[in-house]
Amino acid sequence: MMRYSFSNMVRIDSWRFNFRLIARLLGMLLVILALSMVVPVLVSVVYADGSQFGLILSGVLILAMGLLLRNFVGVGATFELHDREGLWYTLIIWLVVPIMGALPYLFTSSVHSFTDAAFESFSGFTTTGSSIMTGLDDAPKGLLVWRSTSQWVGGLGLILFVVAILRRLNAGAAKLYESEFSGTLQRRLHPHMSRNVQYMWRVYILLTLAMFILLLLGGNGFVDSFCLALSTVSTGGFMTHMSGLAGLSSYSIGVVTVFMFLAGVNLAVLFNLFLGHFRRVRKDDEFRSYGVAFLIAVAICSLAFIVSGVSVGQSLKFSVFHIASTASTCGFYTNPPAVWPTVVSVVTIVILFAGASAGSTGGGIKIKRLMILTKHIHNYFVGMIHPHAVMCVKVGGARVEEEYISRVFAFVFLYALFVIMGSFVLTMCGLDIPNAFCMASANMSNLGPSPIINNMGGALDYVALHPVGKWTMIVLMLAGRLEIFALVAALMRVYWKSR
Amino acid sequence: MEWRVAFRSLGIPLMGEGAAMAICLAPALYYHDGTAGVIALAALATFLVGLAFMLLIPRGSTQRDNRVSYVTVTLMWLALVLFGTLPFLATRSVNSLTDAVFESMSGFTSTGATIFSQVETLPPSVLLWRSMSNWIGGFGIILLVLAVVPSLGINKFSLYTAESSGADNTGKTTYHTGSMVRRTLAVYVILTVCFIVALWIAGMTLWEAVNLTFANISTGGFSIYGDSISRFTTLQQFILATAMFIGGINFALLFNLLTFRWKELSHKLDQFGFYVMLLVLSVSFTVLALRLHEGYNWSDAVRYGVVQTVSVLTTTGSVVADTNLWWTPIVFLFLVLCTCGGMAGSTTGGVKVMRVLILFRNVNNILSNRLHPNAVNPVRLNGKPVSQDIITNVMVISLVYAMTMVAGLLMLMTVGVGSTEAIGAVFGCITSYGPGLGDCGGFGSYTAFPMVGKWICTALMLLGRLECITVFILFIPGFWRRR
Repeated sequence: MMRYSFSNMVRIDSWRFNFRLIARLLGMLLVILALSMVVPVLVSVVYADGSQFGLILSGVLILAMGLLLRNFVGVGATFELHDREGLWYTLIIWLVVPIMGALPYLFTSSVHSFTDAAFESFSGFTTTGSSIMTGLDDAPKGLLVWRSTSQWVGGLGLILFVVAILRRLNAGAAKLYESEFSGTLQRRLHPHMSRNVQYMWRVYILLTLAMFILLLLGGNGFVDSFCLALSTVSTGGFMTHMSGLAGLSSYSIGVVTVFMFLAGVNLAVLFNLFLGHFRRVRKDDEFRSYGVAFLIAVAICSLAFIVSGVSVGQSLKFSVFHIASTASTCGFYTNPPAVWPTVVSVVTIVILFAGASAGSTGGGIKIKRLMILTKHIHNYFVGMIHPHAVMCVKVGGARVEEEYISRVFAFVFLYALFVIMGSFVLTMCGLDIPNAFCMASANMSNLGPSPIINNMGGALDYVALHPVGKWTMIVLMLAGRLEIFALVAALMRVYWKSR
Repeated sequence: MEWRVAFRSLGIPLMGEGAAMAICLAPALYYHDGTAGVIALAALATFLVGLAFMLLIPRGSTQRDNRVSYVTVTLMWLALVLFGTLPFLATRSVNSLTDAVFESMSGFTSTGATIFSQVETLPPSVLLWRSMSNWIGGFGIILLVLAVVPSLGINKFSLYTAESSGADNTGKTTYHTGSMVRRTLAVYVILTVCFIVALWIAGMTLWEAVNLTFANISTGGFSIYGDSISRFTTLQQFILATAMFIGGINFALLFNLLTFRWKELSHKLDQFGFYVMLLVLSVSFTVLALRLHEGYNWSDAVRYGVVQTVSVLTTTGSVVADTNLWWTPIVFLFLVLCTCGGMAGSTTGGVKVMRVLILFRNVNNILSNRLHPNAVNPVRLNGKPVSQDIITNVMVISLVYAMTMVAGLLMLMTVGVGSTEAIGAVFGCITSYGPGLGDCGGFGSYTAFPMVGKWICTALMLLGRLECITVFILFIPGFWRRR
């Protein structure tokens, strides 16, 4: 490895943009996207809801573009990737795919402007679930299925598609993978990256199927069950009714709650769960922290509700649902109790920032990072008392490098910075400070419409939002989904300079 | 643990406080407000207790246990605050101990949050005591950062980073404690006198000039009027803004500036540059927003914009207009600014621009290092590499600071403070800015807060002033374990 200092790191080898490779990857993803539109199209044809034409047209367009990129532009691509390119490709993919995914909204004229379509689509692919659609109950079924499908596709990350299919990427796969999950200290299920990703997909599909069947058994309609399953397992949060999940039976709410909770768990842990390795699941300290945080939050919330006069049963039921929805960053809402104590708001905000486990489909800062931080802070205090103590941070049985800790701190700093800047723009759009802060953090954590500071779902707030506010929220969703680094790096000079 | 060392070191500060209280006799006698007797008693009591600590407690062993340092720092502030309540209690200006402690804490942490809705009705001696407590508090924090902490030998985990403490980037002290104290005191007193004279010339009465200088050079923000500084002329307000601005500058830097040591200065301006840049950017935004969105004419927009923004960034808390009525983004910007605070080693609160700067540079570094994992590319400040210890320290303090804010918010909301007031109060108290939002913002006061709420705010002020870590460490179980 060549050594170089920063001043003379220029021109080691000239960096060129491997546009054939990116065309190839993009094309492949677009073809997959077009294929994923089959179900929405079928649904719209069966229900004859008037969206068939728009859906088919956009599907064909996406397919055509995908094939063009893959089979013509991307021919003869060399499968080589540098770090910098990994970040770039991730960003490009995450910009192009959601914009193509916005076509169905435009073609079925369900939304009024490109901004709205882009907002809905980005909100879908980033599994946020913030929505600008107002007449969900009357919206074409095909489109509803498409919304949820986009969440499901985005749930595990677009890059994971590429990595799962393109075995030839080999080492490059890991680089791409890392630029999407910026080093969350993933434990691999299999040493080979593409095999690892395939396992993750299997767990994901299995969860979705299980939930779909359970919901069907509960007597829900096909479209409702299907959409709900897709949106829950991906921790997305798009709903098919304006009233949220208020119309569901308690059985279905129970199913949704359980699967929301599971969706916030590391897929590796779920994998072990399926294989019956319960000891490994029990010993996973992130899973334990996630569970403990969940229980504490539920306890505080239900206490707050009970104190303010809500019946015990309803308090518990709602708190469990609400915290599961927030912790996994699904963001569903249901009939809330009549009162909304401020304590619940604060707990919601804390949980929302903490987010789900690393390696899950959820957003937020991630439990694992918080564990590293708290352990590090603890060590810091001990170090103040015993200046000569030698300590390390251990998570998941392994020592965490100093450098990685420092990266986690930087991540949290950037996270806060994005939320602050987002809220600032929102206050300029006319929101008051508490609402602006909540909206910004909800989108940054990919939570979506779940209620935070009052018992109304936030769904309607986005409709009247100024376009600048909407685009800012899109940036936040993307930053939250890509765990910031890919987005910020794209703005840095170092990543633009050709070496 | 050597309790004797901790208590003995309370002696001098308390004697100083007693002397300061004695100064408040002057207005009491001059205005015949009838408080001279009790103020004299309070001053005497404080002085005597200080003297007793000095004389009666024997010297402890000189071998330092660094836990003593932490205890001493917190204890010192608590003692100052506790005895600072005497004038309020003795003159019966407050209704309860809670209010007295709140006001005193707000004074000595140079916060400037007040529980008096009608300041004008207070006797002059108490008014001067409030301003005086700001002044002492401001001086106290500079001393603590520049002289005391480096001398306590807790540099490895130095609470106050790099150039702030007259220590270099590796945390090594470069000044002698005694000379640092003298220098700081000289600068502080000279500046105070200059501003009193300037304000006097600009048309204030001597009484106003003294009080406002005390409260603004220390970036405290108490005023002798209920409408803070809004009644003064443009010139007077700009002089006050200058005082705040200077109060927000590192005092080691100020000393070099005042003694024309350009060589020392030229390569130490990173933090200052960032401070000025932050100020210029936010002032421009505020002025433009006031002109374009609020419809003030240019002169008012510039006056309000400049003075208020300086007051916020330096966490002073003097108010020129009812900021509650301003456009929300301005108010939001103010919240962010007061969290940044002024330079480290100044009288301001907040996280300090130094730390914000280090945080930004560190992020920048980490991102570039991803691209070049083997590059040797440390975070630099003033051209010198910053040690990893200091970076860790900065990150931990900032994060603990943020967590304290969230906890404070949670507690304030739980005890029944409205969400707007709670947010405002947390920012106002922990950053030592003072005014919050809603009822406690603008020209308002904290009178209406529930008792527990006031105590939470009091705690936040102390935590913010001593940068959280210093206080929290006392609550770590291992701290008190016998060794």
